[in-house]
Amino acid sequence: MRPRPGLRASSGLVWMALAVVLAVALVFGVSSGRGPLTASQRAEAIDSVLKCPSCDGISVADSSASTAAAVRQVVLARVREGQSDTQIEQYLETRYGPSILLRPPTTGLTAVVWVVPLLAGAGGIGGLGLFFWRRRRPLEVRVTPEDRALVDRVLAAHEHGAAGQPAPPRR
Amino acid sequence: MTVAATPGTAPPVDPGDAGPSPGTAGARRGRHTARWTAGGVLLVIAALVALLATRPPATATEVATPLLGKPAPSVSGTTLSGGRFGPSAYRGRWVVVNFSASWCPPCQQEQPALVAFAYHHRAPGDAVLVGVVYDDSTSSARAFASSSGATWPSVVDPGGQIALRYGVRGPPETFVISPSGTVVAHLDGAVTTADLDDQIAAAHAAGL
Repeated sequence: MRPRPGLRASSGLVWMALAVVLAVALVFGVSSGRGPLTASQRAEAIDSVLKCPSCDGISVADSSASTAAAVRQVVLARVREGQSDTQIEQYLETRYGPSILLRPPTTGLTAVVWVVPLLAGAGGIGGLGLFFWRRRRPLEVRVTPEDRALVDRVLAAHEHGAAGQPAPPRR
Repeated sequence: MTVAATPGTAPPVDPGDAGPSPGTAGARRGRHTARWTAGGVLLVIAALVALLATRPPATATEVATPLLGKPAPSVSGTTLSGGRFGPSAYRGRWVVVNFSASWCPPCQQEQPALVAFAYHHRAPGDAVLVGVVYDDSTSSARAFASSSGATWPSVVDPGGQIALRYGVRGPPETFVISPSGTVVAHLDGAVTTADLDDQIAAAHAAGL
């Protein structure tokens, strides 16, 4: 059954409202907290993506181990020297290897963990688009001569009924 | 709950005491198998415990480090005896840098081997052993060094910055450095004198 025009209009309004809310949230999320970071804030952000060298799966920011404290000290000192996040991460990689980064590398086999979510997201968006496109597409109804003959017969019977003739039995 | 037997009624019968019947014989066989299985499992566990308890203690393993083949970070600072230690003390010689702590059992285990290594290489110009105190108080480290007969300089590393420059994750870790100042080996765990001599000999043979 096709939705009534009024219903379709209100559904469109709901989608538009949702899109506006999403856009506003995105703009707000991206723009808020974008002020210049202090050295400590930058160092903390870097610490949170570094793995504590002597712990299992805990970030440098969350660990109280002496190795984590040493890394925090180096990160803060290098931030104050004006080094970029990448430079600091690269320096620590030259000491501990790539395992110092909590973020998996984008090369080799671990690239899969980056590619799969992207593909899944693209597939999901594509699937949703296809779903809505198919919903909005007008139905293609082919009227055959038999259909026309049937309609004519029913109309003719209706006219007979209106003129005082008994209506033909419903099928 | 106990049920008293009354005249005219049969006393309750323990299924285990019942006479031989196909069902009870099967149950007995099942219990028999279970006992044998439990005994076998116990035997395996006992064998494993005996194996783990009697095998020789874990020794050092060679572990990759990004520093291999790279210039060794310098080791300098105040020693446990209060003196200054710097690269001038080991430049142009084979150097063994050992990170250890008094609280670490493998460090205690390897200490006699390090004492022996230092003794064998005591000649002027021979390989130098340098200790770095890892996450330990100076007093504990000093007591540990003197009680174990350590004669080599041990540098105090208050902020763990020497350990960080070497990418140390936990003691004991040992680095072998060639006379040209290149890291040629990284050993994780308790080392033996042979481990160190073999690493130096191999690097020497490779022309490092």
